[in-house]
Formats: sequence, structure tokens, C-alpha cells
Amino acid sequence: MATTLLFGVAAVNTGNNLLFLIVSAMLGFMAVSGILGYLNIRGLSVSVHLPDELYAGMKTLVSVRIENKKRFLPSFLITAAVSGSPTSFILLDPGKPQIGSLLLGFEERGLHGVQPALISSPFPVNFFVRFTKVPISGSFPVFPAPRATAGQFQGGKPDAGQVNASSAMGHEGDLAKISDYRGGEPLKQIHWRLSAKHEEFKVKEMTATSDEPVVLELDLIPGRSLDDRLSYCTYLVNRLVKSGRPVGLKLGDRVIAPASTRLHRLKMLGELAVYGKN
Amino acid sequence: MVRIKVVLSALTLCVALVGYLPLQPYLDPLARWFFPASILLGFYLQKTERTLPARVLTPLSILLFIYFASGFSMDTILTVTADLMVVFLGIRMLGERSGRNYLQVFALSLFCLAASSLYNLSALFLVYLLLLLLLLAVSLVVLTFHAHDSEIALGKKELKKVLSVSGLMPVASLPILLLLFVLLPRTQYPLWNYMNKGAPQSTGFSETVNPGGSSSQTAVKSIVLRVISSKVPEQSLYWRGIVLNGFRDNAWVRLPAPQEQIVRVEPGMSVHQEIYPEPSQTPFVLALNIPRSISGLAHNQSGDAVFTSRRPMVKRSKYQAQSTLSEAILIKGEVDRDFYLQLPRTVSERLRAKGRELGRPGLSAQQKLQLAEQFLRDQKLSYATVGLPVGPDPIDEFLFVKKRGNCEFFASSLATTLRLAGVPARLVGGYRGGTYNEMGGYYLVTEDMAHVWVEAFVEGRGWVSIDPSAWSAGFVRNRGAAQQLRMYVDALGFYWNKAVITYDLEKQISLVRSAGGKAQSFRFPEHFLRSLLAIALLLAALAAVVALYLRRPRSAEGRVLKLFLRAVRKRYPAQFRERCGLFELAESIGDPHLKEFAGIYGGAVYRDQQLQPGELLRLKEIIQLLGKHQS
Repeated sequence: MATTLLFGVAAVNTGNNLLFLIVSAMLGFMAVSGILGYLNIRGLSVSVHLPDELYAGMKTLVSVRIENKKRFLPSFLITAAVSGSPTSFILLDPGKPQIGSLLLGFEERGLHGVQPALISSPFPVNFFVRFTKVPISGSFPVFPAPRATAGQFQGGKPDAGQVNASSAMGHEGDLAKISDYRGGEPLKQIHWRLSAKHEEFKVKEMTATSDEPVVLELDLIPGRSLDDRLSYCTYLVNRLVKSGRPVGLKLGDRVIAPASTRLHRLKMLGELAVYGKN
Repeated sequence: MVRIKVVLSALTLCVALVGYLPLQPYLDPLARWFFPASILLGFYLQKTERTLPARVLTPLSILLFIYFASGFSMDTILTVTADLMVVFLGIRMLGERSGRNYLQVFALSLFCLAASSLYNLSALFLVYLLLLLLLLAVSLVVLTFHAHDSEIALGKKELKKVLSVSGLMPVASLPILLLLFVLLPRTQYPLWNYMNKGAPQSTGFSETVNPGGSSSQTAVKSIVLRVISSKVPEQSLYWRGIVLNGFRDNAWVRLPAPQEQIVRVEPGMSVHQEIYPEPSQTPFVLALNIPRSISGLAHNQSGDAVFTSRRPMVKRSKYQAQSTLSEAILIKGEVDRDFYLQLPRTVSERLRAKGRELGRPGLSAQQKLQLAEQFLRDQKLSYATVGLPVGPDPIDEFLFVKKRGNCEFFASSLATTLRLAGVPARLVGGYRGGTYNEMGGYYLVTEDMAHVWVEAFVEGRGWVSIDPSAWSAGFVRNRGAAQQLRMYVDALGFYWNKAVITYDLEKQISLVRSAGGKAQSFRFPEHFLRSLLAIALLLAALAAVVALYLRRPRSAEGRVLKLFLRAVRKRYPAQFRERCGLFELAESIGDPHLKEFAGIYGGAVYRDQQLQPGELLRLKEIIQLLGKHQS
């Protein structure tokens, strides 16, 4: 810009029309690069694919799908930031969505809305970085951070020699199967080699054991604060369901009947996430 | 995969070259050779993935700066700056390849190109400018990728996309360039006029005529002026510049002339000319013989129909002239005979005798003229530009020995003979002829057309033009076969000067005025509104068709779904819900057709397959059935 100004001064003062040509060319170029930069970050749609299980205070891998909805113009050097975590795309062809991943963490449990994605790009000329916000629809629950507790239900581990193989999964048994990453699994369980092959995260699932049904009463779970109790409760729900035991919940007057399915577990965790928030 | 680093280096090399080339002819030899050497070294360093460290380059820069800056003065300001810029550009090609350094190379190249415009105003500049603009646009985009990740590599397809989109930028900026060029404000008097050298140091005809100064005359084809005018007869194409009326030793020069007043010129065709002279140091203003008035230029006029510019015409400019194509200038009263009968220092005895013979009493000036013509014709002189007479008395040698010479010999001989015979005579310097560019509608006058003829004073008629060269054998101008092509090339250069180089405040104001005037006096022609309406409707219809085409779903599946949803909305307006799944919709409405559609469509599309032709046909039938139900 300073160069253009300098040329402008020189052109006016010398009356040299060739310098005027240079100034016009530079101004024209600036205008066109501005328009191109504007178009570059327009017409993009962003969607975020969150795993089913998000826990407060835990980083989770999230996949971001971004599509260039423009008819002809590709978008270059796009950085999409969701809740402050960026992921980059070199070239987005029109009509060919791409998927990137980023680590997201939420401090608070409860129902969260997705913040608009911040799209930025230095294209075409690295003098400015342009920004725009693209709304992402939807909301999702963030479960309380699970915290281990010592108690009578800890006995997911069977007595020696009495292991009941169960359809539910655990952490300590044999490798039962490979399944999609849902967000709650510890990172060490991610099967990196397979994940790289499939472009989505795969986790190793281990066998666990089963047990008697149990109803957890939140008010009776030891803990200094509500959040503490919710954390312990979350841990217990996960621990017990994964060890094959049907689990129910008693939240104040509400009772959720025990079951040991994954959907049921998610439902209970969802209740715990929003408990006391309304 | 192509590494972006490699692409950027190649582009930077091209950018630097385009910056250097237009400036190259005007550089100091050191700068001229330093740049190519550093480019070669830079190329070698890059191949071996090395760079010269700053501890080498910084002292080198300082040394070169001191060397060039030592020659700095107000006169050399441009040369020194240009040399330094090229040298620094060369040094930048050797150093570390960081984003900042690349930007410096781009800026320096642009500065070099700008500096070249202060030396040379040719249309080639536009070629360099457009080339540099294209290269800079692409380089800046590639540099942005480089800044994102310097080790990035792109696939060939991706790289092609990046290059084509960035190449689009300069193309798209061309209309803005043209608009801004016209609109950017000009000043009446540039402040840094000393920077505009622009012109060669001296072109134009000689202000002295000294036959015998050299044995040959070189014909330079460089352009002197271009003149927009109607076509005039070939024999009238004499461009008057200077009148040489006295002597310094044996050379004809222009001395302060006695006061004369032109009364009128002999009647002849009146020609209006718009003249674009090439820059030169000469103050003499050229126009068709005999010029009557000059406008568009601050000038002085003397009594012998010679116009001089008050400022040297070193910048490109234009002026208008009005001329009358006639042979004689009538002046008021008598001429200063003593002044116009002076002789050169050396006149041979043979010539003096001839003069005495022609000047015998009882003959009128007109008769003396005829006798002088006869004398020259009898000598059987031939026109030549090489093997010219030289020596202590070249005129004598020309007339009586070698009998060959150029226009200077012919004119000097006739004028001296006339003066010896008592007829006042003087030489007129200028150009003879001109190539008419049919395409551009202008005359092109080149340096090789420089010419000298004679004006003799005849009582009753005034100063009469005579061209003694025409009496020679071999006075013809040959036209090359490449003439046509030359005319095309010249027409390009001419329009470049006319449209770009001479564009100034005056033209800007007249453009605004004429635009304003046109807007004020603008009236719709008859039937204009009706036809305008028709065209607008046609365009609107066309735009609608294009918009519909662009908005339609891209696949056959998408189109059939859109038609289906539209039909369902019409058939079941109450039950239809937006944003509802296809199966859900069919279930909630309960129409078997809908269920069938959902089954076929979902069976293919939701399994990421394309619809088979038969399926597509059935789906269309269902849509038609839905429409029939409705009616």
C-alpha cells in the first residue's frame, strides 16, 4: 500500500503517464484481490460432527466437515476455528466436502450450543487475514467430568476364575471388536493404525463382566458439592454399565429404571449433564 | 507433487528479470553485468540449496552503495538510483529466501520498471507492465501458500487451480486499470520535471548546413514527427523548420534576421495539421511549408515564417498548425539586400565567374533564376548520399569535378550562385516527403527525410521556394517491401503516444466537459424507449433462464426429488411439512404412491447409488400421477 502511495506521489509530481499506469494497475490489483479474498471465504458451509459422549474438562476429537457451496471458484487456505480450535484446509473444490479434525474441550457440563465457526484465510495476498463467521446449528450435552470413587460398586472386577463374559465392553478384558470412536473412550484405546486407514477414529473394545441391577441415588452419593456428586455418579454409571450391570438413576423424585444398553447409559448421562441447570 | 518453494523461486526469477530488462540499456556497466551474474549465481545456489550469509551480502551492499552514491548529483539522480535498485535486486537474489526477501524482490522489480518509464516512453512498457502484473499476482498468491507452510507441496491439478485463479486477478483488474488511468488526477505543471528525461539528447535536423563536412550521410530511420492531416499532393510535402540566412566561415547558419513582415502567401491549398513531434532538443517547430499559424504550444514567430518553441520540446507533446501549400511568401517592402547577398569565405573563381555571368545587368530576378537552373541542369549533377565531395572547396568540387552530392550541396550551390548573381537567397531546412499511414490517417516523417531547399527573393512575388535537388538525376526515394508492416507497427506506437503518453490535465478536463455536455444535451432518439424496453425485457428473460438453470439441482436425482416435493406440496398442502424425511413424509400422509417413491428413491440414493433409467422413469410417472390426482 505504501508502495502504491509512493508511486502515486511520483506520478502526480512527474506527470509521467507510465507511472500513472503503474499506480492504476496496483490499485486495480488491490481492488480485485480484495474481492477475491472476500469471495474466498464466502459460500462455505461448516458442520461439526461431535462424538456421542463429551465430558466436561476432557479434550475430545471432533471432526469438522466443510463444503464449498460456490459454483465455480475454489477456496484456498481456509482455516476453520470452532470454539477457538483451528483446523486448516489447503484447497476446497466446489461441491467436494472435506473433513478435518480438532481437539475440543468444554469446562462446564450442561447443554451447549455450537459457537459459529470462525472462517479465516490470508488468500490471495498475505497482507491481511480475512474473517467471517459461519453459524453451526445444533446443541449437545456435555456430561459431568467422571471422577473415580471408592465404593461398593467398584467390583466390576470379578473374583478370580469367575469371569462372566458379557456383551458389554470394558477396559481390561480381551480385544472384543473394533468400533467407531464415540468420544468417551480414553485416547489410549484409539486404534491409530486403523483410524488412519478409515479417515475416522476407531477404538479397541475390550470385554468385561456382568452383574446385578443397581439404582444410583444422586443425593446419597458422597461428595462435597453437587458437581462432585454428579462426577462420581457419572463415573459409576459408566463403570457399571460397561461392566454389564443394569443401572438406574434416582434424581430427586425422578427414577430411571435400570438397564444396561448404551442408549440408556447416554440417556442417564444426559440427565446428569443438565441436572440442576434448568 | 510440486513443491511450492520451487514454484516461488522460479516466479521470483522471472519477476526480477522483467524488472531488470526495461532498465538494462540505461545502466552503468557494473550494474548491467552485476545483475545477470548474480542471477546465475543465485540459480546455482538454489540448485545446491544454499544461500549467501548476511555477513557477506551486507558489506557487499554497502560497498556497492558507496561506489554508486559517489557519482551522485542532481543530474545523475535517476541513473544512480536505477543502478542501485538493480544492484540491490541482484543481491536479494543471492540471500536467504524468506517471505520478506521475496516481497523486497517484488517491490524492487516494480521500482525498476517504474524507473525505466523515466528513460523510455515506448509502448513496450505496457507489455512489461502487464507481464509483471501477471507474474506479481501469481507470485504473491504462491507466497501466501509459502507463508502458510514453506514445505508445502501441491498436486499438479491443485497447482493449476491456484495458478489459474491467481492469473485471473490481473485480467480482472484491467478494466479498473483503464478507468483509474483516465480518472486519476493530473497536475498542470509537474513538480519534478527534471526527472523526465524521456527524450534522446538530440534529434531533428541540423541547424547548420556545411557541405563537405563528411563524405557520406547516414540515413537514420528514426521518427521525427507524426502529423494527422488530410492527404496532400506528394510534391507539396515540404516540412519547414529553419531558415539559414548567413555564414560562419563556409557553413550556412541562422543569424538574427532583418525585420520582415509577411503580407500574404501565394494562394494554395490550406491544410490543418495536428502534429506529434518526437521529443528533441531543437526549438524549431515543424509544419507543412508554408506555416501560417501554430497553436497549442507557447511559441515565437519570426519574419521568415520560422516558428520556435519557447520551451524545448523534450517531453511528448502535440500542437496544431495551419499551413498554405504555396511557393512564395510576399513580404512588406524590400529585403535587406546587403544581408542576403553575403558570401561564404571560400568561393572558387569558376563559380564567381558564373555568378558574374548570371548577374549581368538587364536581367530580372526571375530570368536569373531560370539561368541558374539551366546552369545546374547543364552540370549533369547526380543525387548521392555517399562519396560526397570533401576538401577545401567542396562546392566547387561538387559543381565541376565530382558532380554528385546530397541536398545540402544542391541547395548551397544554388543559393551561393544566386547570391553571386545579385539575387537574395537563403536555405530552408526541414523535411521532404512523408509516409501516409492509411490506417492511422497520418503522415510519418523520419530522420532520413531531412532536406534543405532554397528560397530566392523575386520582386513582386516575394520569397520563392525552389528545390534544386529535384533537378538532379536519381532523386527518388525508394520504398521498402516491409513498408506495410512498418506502418502497422508505427500506427501502434502512434496511438500509444496519442492515448497514453500525452494524456494530461487538459485532456482530462475536455473529457469531463464533453461527457457533461453530452449528458446535458442527451435526448432519446425516436422509438428509443420502446426498443430499450424490448431489450431490457429480453435481457431479463435471458437472466431468468440462466438463473433457473444455475439454481436447478445438479443431478437427475436432485431434480426429480425437487419435482416430487413440489407435487406433494400441491397435492397435500395441509399435511406437507418442510424439513421432513422422505420416508417420514410418506408414512405421515399415507399415500401408497409416496411410499413407492420413497422406496425407490431411498433404495438408490441413500445407498450412495445412482438411479437406474427405469427407476427414474417410474419416479417421474409417480410425480405425474400425483399431478393428475390434483387436477
